[in-house]
Amino acid sequence: MTADTVANPELAKAFVGRDVVSMRDFRREEILFVLDLAERFEHTSEPLLGGRVVVNLFFEPSTRTRLSFEAAMVRLGGQNIGFADAGISSVAKGESLADTIRVVENYCDIIVIRHKFEGAARLAAEASRLPVINGGDGSNQHPTQTLLDLFTIRKLHGRLEKLRVAFLGDLKYSRTVHSLIEVLAQFECEFVLVSPQELRMPRDILDDLARDGVRCREEFKPSILPVDVDILYTTRIQKERFVDPVEYERVRNAYRLDREALEVFPRPVTVMHPLPRVNEISTDLDDYEGAAYFQQARNGITVRKTLLSLLLGALP
Amino acid sequence: MTAERLLAEERSIKVSALERGTVIDHLRHGTGLRVLAVLGLSDADQTVSIGLNLDSRRMGRKDLIKIEGKELTREEIDKIAILSPEATLSIIRDFQVVSKLGPELENELEGVVRCRNPSCISNHERIPSRFLVADREPILRLRCAYCERVVPQGEIDLL
Ligand SMILES: [Zn+2]
Repeated sequence: MTADTVANPELAKAFVGRDVVSMRDFRREEILFVLDLAERFEHTSEPLLGGRVVVNLFFEPSTRTRLSFEAAMVRLGGQNIGFADAGISSVAKGESLADTIRVVENYCDIIVIRHKFEGAARLAAEASRLPVINGGDGSNQHPTQTLLDLFTIRKLHGRLEKLRVAFLGDLKYSRTVHSLIEVLAQFECEFVLVSPQELRMPRDILDDLARDGVRCREEFKPSILPVDVDILYTTRIQKERFVDPVEYERVRNAYRLDREALEVFPRPVTVMHPLPRVNEISTDLDDYEGAAYFQQARNGITVRKTLLSLLLGALP
Repeated sequence: MTAERLLAEERSIKVSALERGTVIDHLRHGTGLRVLAVLGLSDADQTVSIGLNLDSRRMGRKDLIKIEGKELTREEIDKIAILSPEATLSIIRDFQVVSKLGPELENELEGVVRCRNPSCISNHERIPSRFLVADREPILRLRCAYCERVVPQGEIDLL
């Protein structure tokens, strides 16, 4: 099969060789195109990427994301090379990022990069003639996470438009939340932001939402869960964000979701989490009807398979 | 306006007195010294004249800088545009104004602004900084092309 079996061959063509660095680089139409295509990849394990090689440059360790990219590549018949920790590579010897990229691009067809510094993926994309996928750059972007979240939401709700979404927990440092809220805002969703004062959504994001007329309210009492929402997106509250360990314990227990807390909802609510969880979601929710977090992990492979094939111009 | 003052302003903006160089006029009142510092003009070879708190029909008060024997680079013009978007630049050759323009800020600024985010890659690799104009109105906001953080007008850190 070839690209002309795709709904929009023009768009498919425009994706070949392109970088996936930030959700800001994609128009609404392009996002929907990727999600549509991903549906076709859910059950595809054709060897579309036979003979192709991805290099996974994990300057910052992230076993989960790395395994997900590797599995996506293997499922489509491709090969993986790379490293999982910059400490054991030549990078530790002080080579510039641009040089590392210009060397490794000779070994592969596409590059996946994860780095602790924000903007590293953009720099890699500028340095390379190959397509680059951002696997997370510090607190900035993690576009495959955003796309898998969007894919999960659309699968469960049949649409992205006009949903009511509550974000819960650490809204200050969570790049997953920042990125997702900016995209969902384009789809006229409404938001409730539930967080402790010290971990509230950054000012510039709130300003942008206000400027664009997005309906959004903040709530600083976790005991009052907004029961009128379609989705509860929870995040990890990290200990290092708190000076006072007692305060950390108080907050993390207050933001914990369990079956009892969800009894106030008139119908099952979709519960999402980027994982890994610590204790934000009780295991008694794992067989709750709305629990979607393990499905997110499964959808991650689907979305990554889709992008790898799209950028390499090998569609089913 | 008194006659003396009028005369003083006339004298200070008499661009034809310059054989070759640049006149930066209509600088937002209070930015003259910043511009001087940012362009590194206080210890330059060129002769520089500066007028502060001048009367202006258009702006009430303004600052003005004349630089002899120098035409500004793109980066320098971008810096003026950030500090004082209403400024006008007159380029003088052979005592004639050969072009007069506002410091039109480009959509992309390279090597002009420093990113204040300590974990931005631009502060860890030998690369020029790069910023994109996020908004021009109501206030100027720039977005780092690397870490994507937004900086409002008052917090812009010029290189
Ligand atoms: Zn930056």
